[in-house]
Formats: sequence, structure tokens, C-alpha cells
Amino acid sequence: MARAPDSHSIPLRPVVYHILLSLMGGDRHGLGIAEHAERMSEGAVELGPGTLYRSLSEMAEAGLIEAVRSPRPDADPRRKYYSITSRGRDLLARETERLGRLVDTARAHGALAEKA
Amino acid sequence: MTAPRLEAHRRAFCLLLRLYPKWFRQAYGEEMTLLFTTRLERAGGRWTRAILWWRALEDTVRNATVLHRDDSEGGGLRMGSLTQDMRYAVRRLVRAPVFTLGAVALLAVGIGATTAVFSLVDALILRPPPWHEPERVVHVYQDSDDGQPSSNSFPATRDMAEYGEMFEGVAATAPWTVTWDGPAGLTPVDVEFTTSGYMHVLGLDVQRGRWFEPEHDVVGGPFAAVVSAAAWRSRLGGDPDVVGRTVQLNGFPVTIIGVGPERLTGTVNPLLTDFWLSISSAPVGGPAWVGTLERREDHWFLALARLASGVTVAQAQSAMDALAARHAELYPEIDRGRDITVFASRDVRMHPQGDAQLRLGGALLAGLALTVLVLACANLANLLLVRGLGRSGEMAVRSALGAPKGRVARLFLLESAILAAMGGAAGLVLTRWILAALPALPLDDTLGGTLELGVDARVVLVALGLMSATGVLFGLAPAMRSARTDVSRALRDDRRGASSDRGTIRLRSVLVAVQVAASLVLVLVTGLLARSLAALQTVDPGVDAERIAYVQVDWTRAGLSLAESRAAVEELRARIATLPGVEHVALSSRLPALPQGTTTTEVEGYTPPAGTNAVELPFAIVTDGYFDAMGVPLLAGRGFSQDDVAGGSGVSIVVSEAAAQRFWGDADPIGRRMRGQGAQEWSRTVVGVVADVSVGSLGEAPAPLFYFSARQSLGTPTYVLARATGDPAALLAPMRREIGAWRPSVLVSSQGTLAAHLGSTLAAPRLAARAMGAFSLLALLLAGLGIYTVVSFTVARRSSELGIRIALGADRSGVVRMVVREVATVVGIGLVIGVLVAALGASRVGDALFGVDALDPITFVGAVLVLLAVAWLAAWLPARRAARADPVEALRAS
Repeated sequence: MARAPDSHSIPLRPVVYHILLSLMGGDRHGLGIAEHAERMSEGAVELGPGTLYRSLSEMAEAGLIEAVRSPRPDADPRRKYYSITSRGRDLLARETERLGRLVDTARAHGALAEKA
Repeated sequence: MTAPRLEAHRRAFCLLLRLYPKWFRQAYGEEMTLLFTTRLERAGGRWTRAILWWRALEDTVRNATVLHRDDSEGGGLRMGSLTQDMRYAVRRLVRAPVFTLGAVALLAVGIGATTAVFSLVDALILRPPPWHEPERVVHVYQDSDDGQPSSNSFPATRDMAEYGEMFEGVAATAPWTVTWDGPAGLTPVDVEFTTSGYMHVLGLDVQRGRWFEPEHDVVGGPFAAVVSAAAWRSRLGGDPDVVGRTVQLNGFPVTIIGVGPERLTGTVNPLLTDFWLSISSAPVGGPAWVGTLERREDHWFLALARLASGVTVAQAQSAMDALAARHAELYPEIDRGRDITVFASRDVRMHPQGDAQLRLGGALLAGLALTVLVLACANLANLLLVRGLGRSGEMAVRSALGAPKGRVARLFLLESAILAAMGGAAGLVLTRWILAALPALPLDDTLGGTLELGVDARVVLVALGLMSATGVLFGLAPAMRSARTDVSRALRDDRRGASSDRGTIRLRSVLVAVQVAASLVLVLVTGLLARSLAALQTVDPGVDAERIAYVQVDWTRAGLSLAESRAAVEELRARIATLPGVEHVALSSRLPALPQGTTTTEVEGYTPPAGTNAVELPFAIVTDGYFDAMGVPLLAGRGFSQDDVAGGSGVSIVVSEAAAQRFWGDADPIGRRMRGQGAQEWSRTVVGVVADVSVGSLGEAPAPLFYFSARQSLGTPTYVLARATGDPAALLAPMRREIGAWRPSVLVSSQGTLAAHLGSTLAAPRLAARAMGAFSLLALLLAGLGIYTVVSFTVARRSSELGIRIALGADRSGVVRMVVREVATVVGIGLVIGVLVAALGASRVGDALFGVDALDPITFVGAVLVLLAVAWLAAWLPARRAARADPVEALRAS
């Protein structure tokens, strides 16, 4: 099935970036990812069910993440857990580096407010 | 949030998921639902949930669109252009949530109210009876004493059945209420005493067991009942072994021998009957029911007949004329001048005497609901027009790029169709709410039974019809207008070009005028009803209502003889009198302002204007001390006392002032004589005259009323009335306890304070005033919204012109005036139309009013002022915004 070409190439869509980032802290299920992303972004990113699972589906197909068994035996069996793959880590690192450079450039241009 | 509510949300979300491709739904549907419901559970309040729903909607539409596109690009089917347009329309609607929600809410209210009213009107007036060949079924009525087709004596219905060449069958049935000692305790149930020919006359058959046989048509046969299909399910849990079961009715064991036909609710549509009882079960109703089977003076039965093959209503009528003549000859003192009338079943809804009022009420309601729907649609059309004009540029670009005109119009139509579908769906939900709330309203008292209402196929069909009509009608106008838009002019002129379209302006103005007129009519009627209600509430009922408590008892199960009940009444009165806080006690057979028993009486020396030699008058059976307890002043003679004993030379009567006036004018009524119709002796003598009380309803003209002493009457009073030294409500519990301790077989069937009872008799007018108030508030809101839309639209389109005016030094309040003036003419026209319509229609509501004229000037002026205030506010808000605007901004924006 053909997918949107930019789902796993730099620059990453914010949704993809946040999903990858949330999986760095360990395997999570969909709701966990959504909540983590929301917390990290201070509420700026709110993943609707459709957006979240469509992205997960595309990212799994692109090999950035994979579905795994739940880490705990008492976990809800209806919930699928996801784990980040090495390819995903690699992409996340590259994107973070790019964002870092972007922030440096911005700072050099005085885009950040001066601290009082 | 409660579990069932959450479950409802969950199911709705699952429906939404169907928008996704199947593979996606199967892979992730469950988890997505879990995610959504988890968030929903955490959501604090209603608004958070609403926002969550809106986001889910948006999220679904966006992602489902992408997924479908991806699927089809991967070698799947090419999307049809219709689907594309559909998606485009949905996306546009999702992107403008305020517009979408507003439009859906408007439609939902309009369609919901109209559908609910249709359901009511359908049940009351339209739905044909579920009989076989109803055109062959006729109703037969003997006249009442005042010469109107009314009801029949049981012997008369037997005489009708002798006309075998006219009628294939004749059935008699009489509605009554009995107490059922069932699983839910003592419950009042609606029954009909019915003959064995009933099923054949209706052309139906029981679904289980059997119907009554001729052996059930005489007293002495077995007590038998047929349970109605509805009661079988709701009251007996659909018990498959119900045939043969015994139910306790009024303390008598009655055997259920069958379950009624599925669709038959009862004889008088749409009132529900729980049990049909055989004539042999008459003792269940009490000795009076046994007696009435032989009495030609009592008219307790309705008669239905099935015409023999080829017989017309006219032929049956002439046969009944012959029967009436025979009756007049055989029973001249009872039946002279008493006609018998045959009605085709399509000409009778509930009863010939009440049908006109029923139809008027139905028409009034339907008119109201349609008015609201028209208002809702007018506003929607306005909103669509405004949007359509705002998009004339976009549409022109599409046309210029080669989109066929039909395609452009289709986009608009799709949008309005989606809106109408959503509005219709929400409207149906609203209908169910309204209908569920209706039985809680005191309609039962007005109609004398329980009403069957529900959303059935007919109702859904009506809702669908309304939905498509509104969707197409009000989508079409802007669609055609936009498709017609001159490409080059629209592109050159962008926004201003279309606004100067005279047709559009005229259309919008007409819509506003219609709304103003309609809301004015509604506000007026509300005002009249409210004033009428206020007048009713201050009516003096003629009794000291504030200090009296009543408990109604049911003597049936006590099984007392006449002498025993007379003694029991005295005993009960004495016992209640000993309770602390009781000042006076009396028993009566009726409460004020409640239509109850009447007696047919001949008055010595008085000839009624027409009909027979007797008059039908309401009566009350009361104990000694009744007038003291109720605070009814004695005007002449005496009240009842120990001297009035049974078996003496005669019966003492106390009459109301209105009765004395009617029969004897200014002459002294004391010592005048009367007798029951057909009696030989003038045995009843007037011993006293008391002041008038409300007999049938509050606010009625003073009506005559006769009082009999409980010691001399064959009936037993059932209302125990206690006048309290303090709060009457505090007496209720002790009174009930005392009765229970005295005789457990004497049941309490109702209780309350007299003030509360009088208040409850105003339930119908209060309901009417409230319903009308709700309608007019809605209409006012809609009209205000309409005016607001039009003015803000005008202001937006003329922003550059207004900007120039202000820049050139025009007075800002002058600008407001200019904008408001434009809409003021339209509002004025609407007001004039509204006043005219209201004045013309006033005579139709006049009968429903008390103490206020249908053309009451204060109400008219008040309503006009209310409308003016709303219109002014609705116009002033956007106009002021325009005047405040920065002229530079306004100019730059253009």
C-alpha cells in the first residue's frame, strides 16, 4: 500500500517526532504515547485517535516502530504496545540534531528573547 | 458519567469509526474506542465532553479521508466525483463548527418539535383504528337528556342487536377503572366491560386464548378477562402462560382467558385499556354495574356495530330511528324524544361531543410546530444565503476554471443535505425525549385515560419528509443563486457585487418579516394564556381551600351492605374528629372543581327549555357538618342533621344558589319538591340553600349543584375532608394511619390538600401557557437571530461604504441609525402582519381564555413592545460594531 512519502523522512512531522520521543522512555501503548506527547509538548500536541493510530500504522510499516508484547503480565490484553526500532532511534537522533542546529541558528540571529 | 451513558457514547464512536477503511478499523478500532472512552471518562463536564466529541469528529474525517485516498491511489477504485464533493462538503462543515452546530440545532428543534406534535396529533386524530374493514364499523349513540348523541343503556344495545338485517353484530363496551392487586401492589387499571360480539364487530381476533362467549354476557357467568397486548407485556411481563391466570380486581378473582390483538389499544383510540372484562364480571365494578345492566335510565355503554353486507349508514340510521320510536312508545317517561344516531367510524375519533375540540387542539398544536419549523428553516436559509454570498468569489473561480454549473450547485445542495440529515437525526432524538416527557404531563386527566405515544414508522417517515423538504428547499435557493453568479462581475467585485443583488435582499427581508410576524403571534397567545391563567388562579372556589386536607377511600373491598356503609361513614367521621389538629370533619362524594356524578331530576313546576321533562344535574352526597367543614355559607333554611333519616317520609335536599335561581328565580326555594326521573312521588324536598362553589372547574359560570345526605342516599361518600386548625398537609399521615388501623379493608386511593387539588385542576391551562411560552421564547430567539444575521451581513458587505462615511466625518450614531433604519421597515411590516393574523385568529382561541378578552389591548401592546425590544437589540449590536470600526481598517479590507 502506498503511503505518504514524508511520514519517515527528515524533516519529521511533529506527530511522528513526538511518538518516537515518547517511546525512548520505554515501550508504551497508544494511550500512553498520546498522554506522554501531550505532557511533553505542554499540551500543544493533542493526538486524536485517528491521527495517532494512522501514524502508528504508517510508522510500523516504515520500520520506525514495532508492535511488541506488553511488558507486564497484568497489562490490559486489548492494548497493543509499541517499541522503537534502531531505525527509529536513528531517525529521531538525526531529526533532533537538525532541530538543535536550527535552534543554534535562531539564537545566532537573536531570535530568542534576551534574558533579563 | 454513568455506565449506560458511557456505553451510549462508546456506541456512537463505533458508528463514527465506520468512516475508516475496513482494514484500519479492524486493526485499530478497538484501541481507538478505548482511547476515546478513557478520555471521555476523564473529561470533567458536559462541555469538555462536547469539545472532545467535536475534535474526534474532526480527527476522524481528516484521517479517514487520507486513508481512503491512500488506498485508492494504491490501485483501488478511483473516487467518484460525488464522493469527492461529499468529502469537500463535510470538510467545509467541519471547518466551520459554529455555523454547522447552529444550523443543525435549528433544524433539530424545528424537526423535533414538528415530529413530536405530529406523533401526538397522529395518535389523537389521524391514525385509523386497527380494525378490519373499518368502513363497515359504525358507532351508535342514544341521545343524552339534552338531545346530543351521547351513550347507551345496556338494554338499548341489546335491542340494537335485534336488527340482524342491518348489523352483522353489535357490541357494547363501557370504560371503567378498577384497582388491581398485582405484583406492584394496588394499581388502578383501565378496564372495559365488553360483550361477546366485540371481536367480531371489529373484525379482529385474540392472539392467545379466546374471547368472551355468549355465556359471559349475563351476570352469574364466570368472571373472565382478556388482557390487552400492551398490558400483557408491560404489566404481566409477557407471561406465555397468562391464559388461565387469575388476577385480583377490586378484590374479586378474575380469570384471564385471552390476550387481545396486537394493535388494538382499546375501544377509544388512542386511550389504553388494560383489561376487557366480560359482562358477567359486572360485580367487580360494584353493585351499580350489576344494576345498570337492566336500567334504561343509565347510559354507560358505547355501542359499535358491523354493518351487514351491502347495508349503508343511512339504512342503519332509519332502522335506528324506528328503534327510537319503539323506545318512545314502550318507555315514554325515559325515552320520549330520545333519538338514536349512527355514525360511520371515520366520522368519530373519540366521541362526537369531544371531537371538534380535539381537532381544534390538534390543529392549533400542529400550526404552532409548523410555525417553529418555518422559522427554523427561514433562519437556515438566511445563514446559507449569507455563506453562499460570501463564497460567490470561490464559486466564480470554480466556474471560470471550467467546473460545470451543476457541479457548483451540487456542492451547495450536498452541504444542505448533510445539514438536514444531521438536523433530522438530532430532531428524531429530540422527538423521543419530548414524547417520553409527555406522559408525565397531566394529559391523562384531560382525556380520561392513558395515551399511547411513540416513534413509529409513520413518525420516522414524517421526520424524513420534513428533513428532505427543508434540506432541498433551503439549500436550493442559495445553490441556484450561486450557480447563476456572473463570473466576471463576481471576480472583479468580489464581495460587494453579490450583496447588491436585489433579489437576495428582498428574499432575506421577506424571511425576517415572516419571523417577526410569527413570533409576534406566539408571544401574543402566550400573553393571553398567561393572563387567563393568572385570572383562574385568583378565582374564589367558594370553599375554604387553604385549611382542608382530604383522603379518598375505596370501600369496594370492604364488602359492606348499605346499612353497614352508612354506619361505617359515621364511625369513620367520629374517629377522624378525635385526631389532634382537626377542627371539623365531613365526608363527601365529590371534590370542588372536579367533574363527577350527575343525576337526572324532575323539578316540580319547572319545565326545561327542550328535550325531556327532566334535567341532568351534578350532585354530591355529604355527611352532616359538610358545609361547616368546607366553609360554604348557608344562605337559607338548614344544613343536614340527625333529623334526616333513611326510610322516613322523604329525602332532604340542599341546593346551591345557582340551582335555586335557575328553578325558582327569586321565589323562596325552601319546601320545593323534586323527584328522580321516572319516580311516582315528589319525595325530595329542599330544606336549605348554600352559596355556590366551583362544580366542574375553576372559573366556570356558577353551576347548579344538589346535595344529598349520606344518611339518605344509596351511594357512599368517599372523600374524607378534615378542616385543620393549622397546616392541613400535616393531617394526611395521621388520617391515613387512623383509617388503616380502623379497617385494613378500606383502602386509601388518593390524598392531598384541597389547595393542591384546586391547583392541579389548573394543570391543563398551566401546561398550555408554559408550552406556548417555550414556543414563543424559541421563536423570539429565532427572529432575533434572523435580524442579527441580516444586519451583520449588511454591515459586513457595506463596511467600505460605512468606512468612507465615517472617514468623511459622518456621526457614528447616525451610521447606527442608518443601518437600523433599513431593517426597521422590514420589522414593521412583520409586526403589522402579525397583529392582523392574531386579530383574525383571536376568535379561535377566545373559548380557551378566562377573564381576558382575545383582543385584549394591553396584551397586544405588550407583545409588540417585546418584539420591538428584541428586534432593536438584534439590530443594534452589529450596527454599533460597524460604527465603532476604524474607517482606515474598513477601507483597507475592501
